[in-house]
Amino acid sequence: MKTAWIPTLLVMGSGLWAAAGPKVVALPSQSPLVTFRFVFLTGSASDPANKPGAAALTAAMLAEGGTREMTYKQIVDAMFPMATSVSQQVDKEMIAFSGTTHVDNLQAFYKIFRAMLLDPGWRQDDFKRLRDDAVNYLRVSLRGNNDEELGKEVLYNQIYAGHPYGHENAGAISALEKMTIADLQAFYRAQFTQSNLIIGLAGGYPEAFLDQVKADFSKLPAGPPAAIGLPAPKPVRGIRMTLVEKNTRSVAYSIGFPIDVKRGDPDYPALLVAQSYLGQHRLSGGRLYERLRQARGLNYGDYAYIEYFPRGMFQFEPDPNLARRQQIFQIWIRPVEPPTAHFALRLALYEFDKFVKEGLSEEAFQRMRTFLTKYVNLLTKTKRAELGYAIDSQYYGIPDYNSYLKNSLAKLTREDVNRAIRKHLGAPGLDIVVVAKNCEELKKKFLDGAPSPMTYNSPKPPEVLEEDKVVERWKIDLQPDAVRILPVEKVFE
Amino acid sequence: MVPVIAWLLLGSVAAFSADAPRKAFPYAYDQHDFPNGLRLISIPTDYPNVVALFIVVQAGSRNEVEPGRSGFAHLFEHMMFRGTPAFPTAKYENTLKLAGAASNAYTSDDHTAYHTTFSKEDLETILRMEADRFQNLAYSPEAFKTETQAVLGEYNKNSANPVSKLHEVLRDTAFDRHTYKHTTMGFLKDIQDMPNQYDYSRLFFERYYRPEYTTIVVAGDIAPATVRALVEKYWGAWKPGSYRPQIPAEPAQQGARKNQIAWPTQTLPWLVVAFHSPAYSDEEKDQAALDLISYLGFSENSDLYQKLVIQEQKVDALEASNPDRVDPYLFTVMTRLKKADDIDAVREDFLKTLAEFQSSPVSLERLDQVKRHLRYSFALGLNNSEAIAGTVARFVALRRTPETINRLYEVYDRVTPEDIQRVARKYFGEDSRTIVTLTGGQAQ
Repeated sequence: MKTAWIPTLLVMGSGLWAAAGPKVVALPSQSPLVTFRFVFLTGSASDPANKPGAAALTAAMLAEGGTREMTYKQIVDAMFPMATSVSQQVDKEMIAFSGTTHVDNLQAFYKIFRAMLLDPGWRQDDFKRLRDDAVNYLRVSLRGNNDEELGKEVLYNQIYAGHPYGHENAGAISALEKMTIADLQAFYRAQFTQSNLIIGLAGGYPEAFLDQVKADFSKLPAGPPAAIGLPAPKPVRGIRMTLVEKNTRSVAYSIGFPIDVKRGDPDYPALLVAQSYLGQHRLSGGRLYERLRQARGLNYGDYAYIEYFPRGMFQFEPDPNLARRQQIFQIWIRPVEPPTAHFALRLALYEFDKFVKEGLSEEAFQRMRTFLTKYVNLLTKTKRAELGYAIDSQYYGIPDYNSYLKNSLAKLTREDVNRAIRKHLGAPGLDIVVVAKNCEELKKKFLDGAPSPMTYNSPKPPEVLEEDKVVERWKIDLQPDAVRILPVEKVFE
Repeated sequence: MVPVIAWLLLGSVAAFSADAPRKAFPYAYDQHDFPNGLRLISIPTDYPNVVALFIVVQAGSRNEVEPGRSGFAHLFEHMMFRGTPAFPTAKYENTLKLAGAASNAYTSDDHTAYHTTFSKEDLETILRMEADRFQNLAYSPEAFKTETQAVLGEYNKNSANPVSKLHEVLRDTAFDRHTYKHTTMGFLKDIQDMPNQYDYSRLFFERYYRPEYTTIVVAGDIAPATVRALVEKYWGAWKPGSYRPQIPAEPAQQGARKNQIAWPTQTLPWLVVAFHSPAYSDEEKDQAALDLISYLGFSENSDLYQKLVIQEQKVDALEASNPDRVDPYLFTVMTRLKKADDIDAVREDFLKTLAEFQSSPVSLERLDQVKRHLRYSFALGLNNSEAIAGTVARFVALRRTPETINRLYEVYDRVTPEDIQRVARKYFGEDSRTIVTLTGGQAQ
């Protein structure tokens, strides 16, 4: 087959609205394609306490299992000539089901899609297959084969320990092994309600079609919105570190802490400018990228985030419908060679400290504002993305994302950005996750705090060497009782 | 300009039946050759404001003919971001930021592509800056050495994934002489030696970063005449070269081959079964028939996928692949199993499925279903200017024109059940087969 094979990743949702009945986001156009996004405002944060993974497995049973009338094979056979399918994405507070069809196939495709969401089959053989997939995603795809995504997910689990966000969206292996179809049916009945649903529709559908969809999905139980309480994550002072022990070639870092800013909040545009300056995802030219990779060749890339961005190694733009009420600030340091690991972490922390203290120059502020004002067009370059962003905008209570951002950026000043950096990013503590082998040795180095001088394979400019003298002694504020080593076999168990 | 989907999908599904006239690549485009050998393909689309630029150099890891120099095309892709006298790296980056641009590059077996997506008002700025780096790239030995470490970093981030290793060993086992023997990343020992190869890197630039190897693809909110004038202005004086590589031909494989990878950490077992396959062609049926077999035999609604993934649940991923390459490459069937005990049985299932294509012709109905699926998938993928330019770039690497897409889909239409049977007999012989398995620490 010609398409690149990206292994299916489980991604993983909580209600905000009291109003009854499904909300609708409609973007009608002349396109002969019709794109659906059914977004339920529930997710892994609503997993019952002893059943992490219930939301994700329920979504998988709907999107990758049969309906009461059709087996999964019959569904696949029916969709194959249309070259379409239904995909699902599960996060803490949103479960999104999406699909695109040509308008000629609209009724045939919709009839199946509707049955998948409203009349699922709950077959044992689908359940066994999808539960195996979930376990193998955690155990093999994430834990075994992807050190970077592993580090990021462990970071989230560490920051949100004891919090509804505190487990991987796919769940935990021991809980998945005990999960039953009845558990999923209970989750479905409680959470898949009208009041939790946003119906998104874009493209050249006939006018009456939207009414048909609304009427069909009004058959879901009315139900109260799935409002769950979200406590503030517990604050950290100094550095808290988890080293994941794994037989791997290199050392991967994820660094972060909670922030009290989300899309729609007054400081969101300012922090977005700050994030782009420090490390716009997978683009060259960010500060971290420039100092770690370009100047010193330490690794393949270094980036910063103010919103959850899973699967970053596979894609350049974030997926929509990962909206959350709480976000973290995160730095992603791609794998480094073990001998430079200590220095690389010091340099990342040194640069971050400098960034918080100094902020952006006027020139950098103007450049990054111009960048974001134009770059936002690229985020919504497909109808599918435009619809996803429109749904997220409804969730956050803002106008369409492009207008929201362009208008906010136009009013922004350098001082707004630097004030927001000091206010939200000058945290008293942060979490660090390291994926490496010989973790005891690394831990000892971090705690000892001895200098970690760099040696290069080529002469470096004097300013780099001068800076290195500071970086090699940069203090990592780590206490013995704030560091733990976690064997990879124990992660997500 | 008629949008791609509108043109292609005007009718019902029946519009994809075998006899309806249509073009797989429906956009009108302007293709122009400059005297220095540079080719420009401009594709106006109806997606507003945005322009996608892909600069395709027809040199990839296939061109790495000297021993010890594997991975150089990819390393060179990195070097292209190391600046010129007029646009040092910092100025280059600032210019991209002021254009709101997303810019990156990739290297494959047969080509290297530099791509930038940006706002239409910055078209001249970007074309001027890109022309400058293709003609005036200048980097120091120090910058070169630093960048080689970033390449090692890229190898490192890939190394956690067993699929990377599987491809590495498959190529090394199945090929003896052709440069497809190594992956685009290259052999690790060659990557580790890259810091010592500054002079060779300059030679690589001199050889391949020339107009006759280069095609510029521009898609989006553009007027072709404007684009042509800008390219003439900034790229017209670029001097052609004369180097032509001698890529060694791969001799016919004589006998089945096997290899086994012991993975150091916990993973599920992998199995790949491969056969040598012909080069890309938009005229001959063989390669197109193998594409169709990859779907007929192994796609989600195939009998084997249903048996192994849905019913018996022995494997959780299954895919057949027949990549388009300039030279003969490999048809592969690859799977991830849940238990190592099932490797033998699943391998036999693969071989049996392939043997069935040899023994009896497929049904015409099923073949038409796959052809429709291919057409719809292709059309559904062209959903923005970047995707359109990116798709054209892949085909430009093979035949230097989007027209090859239309010709390829015409070849698909001509493939009959008898062709499928003939091609299966021709390519799925035991002597040209390579099987690689990967097993590691077992999942607990």
